[in-house]
Amino acid sequence: MGEIVLDVVNQRTAFATGRGMLTAVSGVSLSLERGKTLGLVGESGSGKSVLARSIMGLLPRAAVTGPGSRVLLNGRELTRLSERELRPIRGAEMSVVFQDPMTSLNPTLTIGKQLTETLRFHKRLSKAGARQRAVELLRSVGLPQPEIRVDQYPHQLSGGMRQRAAIAIAICCDPDLLIADEPTTALDVTVQAEILDLLQRMVREHNMAMILITHDMGVVAGRCDDVAVMYAGRIVEQGPVREIFHRTRMPYTAALLSSIPRISDPAHRRLDAIGGRPPDLIDPPPGCAFAPRCKHVSDRCHRVRPEPVTEAGHMYACHYPLGMKEPA
Amino acid sequence: MKDIVEDAFLSLEDLTVEYRLTRRTRVHAVSGLTVHVKKGETLGLVGESGCGKSSAARAVMQLPRPTSGRVVLDGVDLASLSHSDLQKARRRFQMVFQDPIASLNPRQTVREILSAPLEIAREKETGEARDQRIIDMLDRVGLNGEQALNRRPHEFSGGQCQRISIARALILRPELLVCDEAVSALDVSVQAQTLNLLEDLKLEFGLTMLFISHDLAVVKHVSDRVAVMYLGMLCELADAETIYRKPAHPYTRNLIAAVPEPDPDAEPNTLELVPGELPSPINPPSGCRFRTRCPLATDRCASEVPIAQELAPGHTVACHHPMS
Repeated sequence: MGEIVLDVVNQRTAFATGRGMLTAVSGVSLSLERGKTLGLVGESGSGKSVLARSIMGLLPRAAVTGPGSRVLLNGRELTRLSERELRPIRGAEMSVVFQDPMTSLNPTLTIGKQLTETLRFHKRLSKAGARQRAVELLRSVGLPQPEIRVDQYPHQLSGGMRQRAAIAIAICCDPDLLIADEPTTALDVTVQAEILDLLQRMVREHNMAMILITHDMGVVAGRCDDVAVMYAGRIVEQGPVREIFHRTRMPYTAALLSSIPRISDPAHRRLDAIGGRPPDLIDPPPGCAFAPRCKHVSDRCHRVRPEPVTEAGHMYACHYPLGMKEPA
Repeated sequence: MKDIVEDAFLSLEDLTVEYRLTRRTRVHAVSGLTVHVKKGETLGLVGESGCGKSSAARAVMQLPRPTSGRVVLDGVDLASLSHSDLQKARRRFQMVFQDPIASLNPRQTVREILSAPLEIAREKETGEARDQRIIDMLDRVGLNGEQALNRRPHEFSGGQCQRISIARALILRPELLVCDEAVSALDVSVQAQTLNLLEDLKLEFGLTMLFISHDLAVVKHVSDRVAVMYLGMLCELADAETIYRKPAHPYTRNLIAAVPEPDPDAEPNTLELVPGELPSPINPPSGCRFRTRCPLATDRCASEVPIAQELAPGHTVACHHPMS
């Protein structure tokens, strides 16, 4: 086992709504080693972004965190820290790259200003030193003509270049943990490949741990060490990428994998769509949340929620896991 | 190639779409696009942002009319029709847009949304018959028509809203359906449901489809033939199997290589693109527009616009150095 950077224990995040409490994340635990990339997959509303924000301490005020929920970064518990105590950690020890670089960057500040602001706050660099470091960072993320780009505003850059700039800001203080929340969803495929290459290189060069949030199983397959599949606020299956793809246990993961159109498929192949919709998170069903859509469902699935089972680093939560002789 | 031209149900001939910026500058969104679509066929149109695929779709819809060139639907050049004749012809071709929520009026009920095309087409029928027609159409796209009738878009999920959009597009029984990124905003499980639905409806209604998407895997699933565009120009056109198996244009090859395959044992593809940015469509490169990013570019590519040539029957490529 390598050095553990992040430990999330029984994270529960809920929001008060007009209809009652909506539990977006219900009891998620995970840990992440230095140098590893964890792919966090799930469909909209599965809770993956709320989990990321819970880790970063970037939840809106209306959010309620469970009493037993803990987030530990390098062994230090973040959950109980005040906003003031969290500030020097966020951006320095952990940072985030968001989906849309046009809205995550400040349109009224130059790229250089946004970079030097972070550098000067966390690293106490001089104005000139920070600027020089900013140019070096922009060069390291592959932004052409960094000396010119540093004085430009976000709107003067293309989508791919903006995302490179956002990555430069995220890694400028050598964080231990980088969370990339759908970093390439807004980008074209050829640009996506370049940005994913860049993120992988950054993880290696800076020896970080990364959580790569995506809805694209293709991105997970090629870019991650481990994968965690979320459904209705819970991790329903987790393990090394090859293990999850080749020995899928949870029917939801299997359904997700077979519903993806693949370039290697013959034209007009009928997709195995998952019928129905995810459950209402305000009033979730008592049993397995996937039961109403599951092909292998039985009476027990509707009544009893399956507890997570872990075998040789492969975790799943299902009463009737796939590829097993006896039900667990 | 020849037989496709002769049986074409929809032909785009030398289609050009330009948007005026100032007195001297124009955005060259689509430049001389020629493709033919047979009756009952689905043509996939792929490319990255700014390649002109949506401008081409809108030119087919005559929204707005193209700058020059012809859009021939079943022998009639839509671009030459008068406003009132075009209005009458519109029932034959309809469109589904990308954003299922933004493309429906939030203040209207589903009944009002689906009545609009019938009113515009001046369908004469009783209110009861119209309601029944709307309910049948909604049932057909997988919604509960009776229940949906008096609801508004916010009461539906994104996938259901896209079904309402599809119902709206099909209620006049058009012959041509243009889908512009119709499944791109949907989650995978909903996307699969919607793609299956479109395939079913195509057969049931005998639709000819122009399916525009940036997602190559999605396009392969629904298309009979695929056209690849780059910066307003057609790069390559072939049947769906050929273009993915034997892409001849260097751009097509890179585009396909860039798609992440959901298989942890797949060999990682490396791109051969010259690093750089997409050139501006205001001032596109001379000759071949892809040359600034092409690994095979030569002097000839800068001086001479490559003409589409037929590599094999039905497989055309516009490149001076096609790969075989």
